[in-house]
Amino acid sequence: MKELFLELKEKPTIPIEAENISTDIVAGKQMQEVRELPIYIGNTKKCLVDFFDLEGEVAAQTADQAIFVEGDLSKVKYIGAKMTAGKVVINGDVGMHLGSQMTGGEIQVNGSTADWAGVEMKGGLLRISGNAGNHLGSVYRGSAEGMTGGCIIVDGDAGQETGSFLRRGMIVVRGNAGPFAGVHMNGGEIFVFGRAAKRLGADAKGNGGFIVCLGEVEAMLPTYIYDSTYRPTFMRLYLRELNDKLGVKEAGRFIDAPFKRYHGDTAIGGNSEIFVAAA
Amino acid sequence: MSFNYNGVEIEDTFAEGFSMWGSRIVITAANRKWANIGATTMTGFATSVIACDCEAGVEREVPPEKTPDGRPGAAVMVFGFSKGKLSGSMLSRIGQCVLTCPTTAIFNGLPKEEADEMLDVGKSLRFFGDGFQAKMRMNDGWGQRARFWRIPVMEGEFLTEEKYGAKKAVAGGNFLLMGRNEAATLEAAERAIEAIHSVPNIVTPFPGGLCRSGSKVGSKYAFLKASTNTPFCPTIKHAFKESKIQDGVNSVIEVVLNGLDEPSVKRAMGAGIKAATQVKGLRKVTAVNFGGKLGKFKMGLKDCLEVT
Repeated sequence: MKELFLELKEKPTIPIEAENISTDIVAGKQMQEVRELPIYIGNTKKCLVDFFDLEGEVAAQTADQAIFVEGDLSKVKYIGAKMTAGKVVINGDVGMHLGSQMTGGEIQVNGSTADWAGVEMKGGLLRISGNAGNHLGSVYRGSAEGMTGGCIIVDGDAGQETGSFLRRGMIVVRGNAGPFAGVHMNGGEIFVFGRAAKRLGADAKGNGGFIVCLGEVEAMLPTYIYDSTYRPTFMRLYLRELNDKLGVKEAGRFIDAPFKRYHGDTAIGGNSEIFVAAA
Repeated sequence: MSFNYNGVEIEDTFAEGFSMWGSRIVITAANRKWANIGATTMTGFATSVIACDCEAGVEREVPPEKTPDGRPGAAVMVFGFSKGKLSGSMLSRIGQCVLTCPTTAIFNGLPKEEADEMLDVGKSLRFFGDGFQAKMRMNDGWGQRARFWRIPVMEGEFLTEEKYGAKKAVAGGNFLLMGRNEAATLEAAERAIEAIHSVPNIVTPFPGGLCRSGSKVGSKYAFLKASTNTPFCPTIKHAFKESKIQDGVNSVIEVVLNGLDEPSVKRAMGAGIKAATQVKGLRKVTAVNFGGKLGKFKMGLKDCLEVT
């Protein structure tokens, strides 16, 4: 893999839009072309090199490209948006819309992300070592479907409306999840290992979608109906994958655990499920 | 023509195998007991397509660390004359024998990259859920995509993968063990089966892997499509002109095996013959064929011993 290193010169005072920090955009270009990639600050068009020091190599193919970005990137938006392959590693906190609409590849954030990370993601892997903001793996206003594929793992907490309009794919929050996790979801999987705040799964339809709570549930909506407590075989597949392949070691403790099954949201005739670890 | 191996006469002939569609299923359960019950029940009455809907057998026990859900498992293989017949047999056998068996779940044991076709067995089985079945999609867009169905049952929930791999396979691998007496022949046959089961991709559908009757195509009775293998029945050797029983042979057992590919069947036959020839009292080893007129595969006993 060819590695390209970007170091932020100075934290911008207003957000900059950096969708060109993407393996798809960078791969196949000459280094000088990469330096001159446009970056917008407000309505002013500038170059990547105006904000970042660059060194390293550019790959011919997207899948062979790795980009390492350093600095306080909390005002840098859209990094890795729509990327299809390769790897982006971010050392530091990062701004909004990280990896939005990405379809493949991997983004590793060694820090926290602002709102809208992984929104409308279609594929790939997004790992966040810190906290995620609101609307993680969510949907842009007006769209009918949120995430339709891919996997997001947050080691810390996630804000509100995580996975809203989720259709396919998996979101794992190892810390606490804010209100309205899985709101309007119609498929896909959400795992919350910490505290799941209220309005969990509100307006969820079904289509095989479910939320798994492995910690405290602040309040279950009255429109979710308790069915039974059992040890679902399918849960073992997910928990083993989290434990063995994705490094979520706390999942291993629940492999043999019983779960309480609730179905809803009956307010809209939904048949989604919430499983709460009963042990 | 024959040759000698470990002091036993091996007839220089071949087993005539024919093409069938084969599939592998991994059955898991809460413990080893129920995984094995599910596997043996599903593979019951599946010795030969002469009178059964399919041929099937337990390939091996699968340890928990090798199964998708981390529970004890058993790999079974099913063979049918066409994709449609195989699919139908799998559907009815899984439905009647595994879905009904406490705590079980089933997984595809023949990955897409090794299969010629993927059969919608789980997709059909889901209707048993009567509208309450739930689809389950894993790893969409980021890993090895997998599709399952969760079917509510009285005891809890039955989990099945949506598609099962099938490929053109080989049935009818065989050899005959001809011994001095019943005890020696049986011991040689048991050793052969033990050795055969060390080879992957193989099942032995008959009881304990052995067919004591043998069979031949047709009968003196018009209504019967198969009958006892008269040339190899020691008790009538002097009453039957075409008897192939030599002096000193008083018992014959046929070892029958099916496999997912010809090399596996040949290796298994070789391993079985080698193990059998360790037994004192085994006089001769031969194989059943139809002069090469019926089957696509000719698996020479000499070749089998050489590839093992």
